[in-house]
Amino acid sequence: MSTSRRDFFRSLGGGALVASLATAEGAAAQVFHHVLPARSIAPTNQKWVMVIDLAKCDGCGKCTKACNAMHFVPPMQQWIRVYEVLENPEAGPYYMARPCMHCDNPPCVRGCPVGATFKRTDGLVMMDQDRCIGCRNCIAQCPYGARSFNWSEPPHTPEELSHKYSMEEGWPHRKGVVEKCDFCPDMLRAGKLTACADACTMGAVYCGDEYEDAVTNSKGETIQLSQVTKKGAGFRLLEELGTEPRVYYLPPVNRKYAAPGEPKSS
Amino acid sequence: MSSDREANLLRVLTHTSWRFYTCFGMLSAVALWGLYGYILQLRHGLIVTGMRDQISWGLYISNFVFFTGISYGGTLISAILRVTDSGWRHPITRLSEAITVFALCVGGPMVIIDLGRPDRMGYLFIHGRIQSAILWDVIAVSTYLAGCALYLYLPMIPDLALLSEMKELAPWRRKLYRTLAFGWSDSAAERHLLEKCISRMAILMIMLAVSVHTVVSWIFAMTLRPGWNSSIFGPYFVMGAIYSGTAAVVLSMYILLRVLHLEDYLKPVHFRNLGLLLVTFALLYLYFTINEYLTSVYKVEAPDRVLLHQLFFGDYAVMMWVTQAMFIAVPLLMIAGVLALKRLRRFTPSVVALASVLIVLGAGAKRYLIVVPTLTAPFLPKTNRGDIPFNPPLPFDWVHYRPTWVEWSITLGGSAAFLLMYMLFTKLFPMVSIWETRHDEAQVEPAVAPTPQPAPQRLGSIATTTIVLIACLLLGAGHARADQKRQAKQPEATTLSMEWKQVATPPPTNDGAEQAQPSAGEGSGVDRFYGRLFGWLPVESKDHTESLPPTFVVTATLRGAKGQPLAYQVVGLSLKTSFGKLDYGSRPTDAEGKAEFSLQDRRYGQYPVEGTYDGGAEFAAAQAVTSVDFGPRPEPSLPSQGVLITPYATAWIGLPFLGFFGLVWLVFIYIGVYLLWFRLPQVRKQQTKAT
Ligand code: SF4
Ligand code: SF4
Repeated sequence: MSTSRRDFFRSLGGGALVASLATAEGAAAQVFHHVLPARSIAPTNQKWVMVIDLAKCDGCGKCTKACNAMHFVPPMQQWIRVYEVLENPEAGPYYMARPCMHCDNPPCVRGCPVGATFKRTDGLVMMDQDRCIGCRNCIAQCPYGARSFNWSEPPHTPEELSHKYSMEEGWPHRKGVVEKCDFCPDMLRAGKLTACADACTMGAVYCGDEYEDAVTNSKGETIQLSQVTKKGAGFRLLEELGTEPRVYYLPPVNRKYAAPGEPKSS
Repeated sequence: MSSDREANLLRVLTHTSWRFYTCFGMLSAVALWGLYGYILQLRHGLIVTGMRDQISWGLYISNFVFFTGISYGGTLISAILRVTDSGWRHPITRLSEAITVFALCVGGPMVIIDLGRPDRMGYLFIHGRIQSAILWDVIAVSTYLAGCALYLYLPMIPDLALLSEMKELAPWRRKLYRTLAFGWSDSAAERHLLEKCISRMAILMIMLAVSVHTVVSWIFAMTLRPGWNSSIFGPYFVMGAIYSGTAAVVLSMYILLRVLHLEDYLKPVHFRNLGLLLVTFALLYLYFTINEYLTSVYKVEAPDRVLLHQLFFGDYAVMMWVTQAMFIAVPLLMIAGVLALKRLRRFTPSVVALASVLIVLGAGAKRYLIVVPTLTAPFLPKTNRGDIPFNPPLPFDWVHYRPTWVEWSITLGGSAAFLLMYMLFTKLFPMVSIWETRHDEAQVEPAVAPTPQPAPQRLGSIATTTIVLIACLLLGAGHARADQKRQAKQPEATTLSMEWKQVATPPPTNDGAEQAQPSAGEGSGVDRFYGRLFGWLPVESKDHTESLPPTFVVTATLRGAKGQPLAYQVVGLSLKTSFGKLDYGSRPTDAEGKAEFSLQDRRYGQYPVEGTYDGGAEFAAAQAVTSVDFGPRPEPSLPSQGVLITPYATAWIGLPFLGFFGLVWLVFIYIGVYLLWFRLPQVRKQQTKAT
């Protein structure tokens, strides 16, 4: 019995073993090589960050409007959403704008089975609608509710359709894939503010390059990132989850607007 | 040669009653209706379901969990009972193994039905990322399905050989059976070999089933959602699967008993034994449920509170309490009662079957309660409360989930497809293993074959997968060039000259020194390995945010027209970034006309730094720009958060999967190809030679 078994393996094995080892090595090189694929490497060596000053946000929602217009965001979706935060009645309500946090330890990227959402070297979490299979695991994973899904074919405009799809802009939109805020990297690289930061008349949204240690808002005010996060007690949302967001918030101290529920006169 | 009971058993293969056709027709209609629903969904997208951004998984995913759970029945009955060598299992192995295969055939596609882009399914293989729990599911469930099919087929071989001899059957069927039977001649050596195959598969199937149901639970447990983020989910799902699977086996036993009149095979003892198992499982499940909820009820973390309120008093309360009663309490009492009270004993089969109906329905509801309510209680909801212009709250049905008729149709269609497959199976193959029941008294080889366990992977030397973040900081010794602008007006012309140098960063305080100590110690061993793997530690302590940034001193010197230093004048400093100007404030010059700014920023690259002197009545304004080099930017790299977020996998994630599931596949090949296809004919030849 043992001889026949050996025979079997010898006859079957031999060449097949060599061949399979060779293919295995090839496959291993494919799967386990640690070279970043081209799509993970950003065109420029910058690291984008955003700072949102909650003391200035008056909940006007202009950021959402500008973003929706620029990206032709389908109805019922908001890539940047403004919330009223009323968690603790004693601590006073405030408004909070929430884009995608472009987490440095992004749960959505962890969970995506096909790499349709992936981290890029410029700090952004990209969303490739050409690859997404629509499993919505990333929606389940994202603790910030930053992702939305195209449940049906989104309404199109001729202008939207004339464009060639690019991951950096995220449109034209299509059915059955996940979408989210993309941080407008094409504009940032050109030295322009993102649609939301540009539209914020209160100057509450700052964006910039982490390597420059400075962020700028729509009023042209430039503040130093390391200073505002340290001295300004900047915080990140749901820090305890370890997602390491790239969006910092400055606390809503001495608010300059009427908070939710307060009379508008103040 | 075949006894009465076998004749009765085999009658179903040759005789088809009108009742079969009626049932078949009705179920086909339901299945086709489900298909219609799916076509509709393909055409219009998932908008036809009740799922929306807030509750993005619904009935389909809970069906997936339900059907994979049901599939546990077969494995349990045939594998566990085989390993423990319980003789009474023989008549019920076939029917339970068939449940396993067909439940998986329906459960697996439920995930595909849930996909937004089913046309891109192939990407799972082309672009698959082993870091994702979804891919684990794909691997686990497909392995499990292959194993179950093999495990259903193996014990059927002798019966197939038997059937191929039956004169009553149509020639094509006999041919089919003969092909499938692999020329089985029912010799002792062949039997011995087959027993060996089956017992090995049995052990493998137990391991596989436990791993599969655990992996299924991980799609939920691997998220940061209150309610899913729970370590009990693995065993909880395995337990729920065994429980509902056993109930499904009881149910199919009862139906086959009534429809095919298999009283000779399916005796009250089977219902009694399975009833006892059900009671045990119900108690165990109760224990897990209490564990699951009590631990979060006691602590009431803020996000959990919303969920618990939803479950116990809110939208899902009625369903929750009914489910708990239906799934655990009532079946437990029913079965315990009928088993304990002598007077009721003769109702055992009916009562256990009735309890099983409740359990199977309850299992479906329980799965729904695991999947849906959690999604209603996220950290940040999808919608805001107040009325924010341009940002209106989402309509009610975008934040509340109710399965639509399409979802129900597909669910019912799936269930109907399951029943159809099962019915067809009863028509094609005998539902009771003939050879095993025939030789009930004969020795059954105790299944204590060596367990094929995954060999512990030996860890090699720790692979460093680090990407170096930062190069050394260069000392720039650039000279500042003053931009001179003369103004010939009234105020005396001034010049501002700027220079900068990098100075040693003030020595870190004691705190810093103490922090640096352990980070140096981290450099070795297990700590570092796991830290790198999962991003608990930064990849390199050279991470640009770790060390203190270097200090740069920019000096602006203000001189008058004759070159005399101007003291007590205010000089401002700003730095030009890609988006704007970063203001460093202003400072008076000292007696030598110098104003010193010390910058200790986390900044990389070269930037123009501008000194400005606004001038006044006496002196004219002046400006000067110098380009300060803050050192090169770090190499482009991904954040140092471990391989879970990288586009490539490491061996440390891939190998365990490759190891476990690869080994399982190897055993499949060993049994299917080597033992069955290669050894079996050999054994047969030897046997015929000997006689
Ligand atoms: S906020 Fe959500 S979508 Fe954005 S990177 Fe983080 S986890 Fe991903
Ligand atoms: S829905 Fe798309 S992006 Fe999200 S996890 Fe699935 S494949 Fe990845």
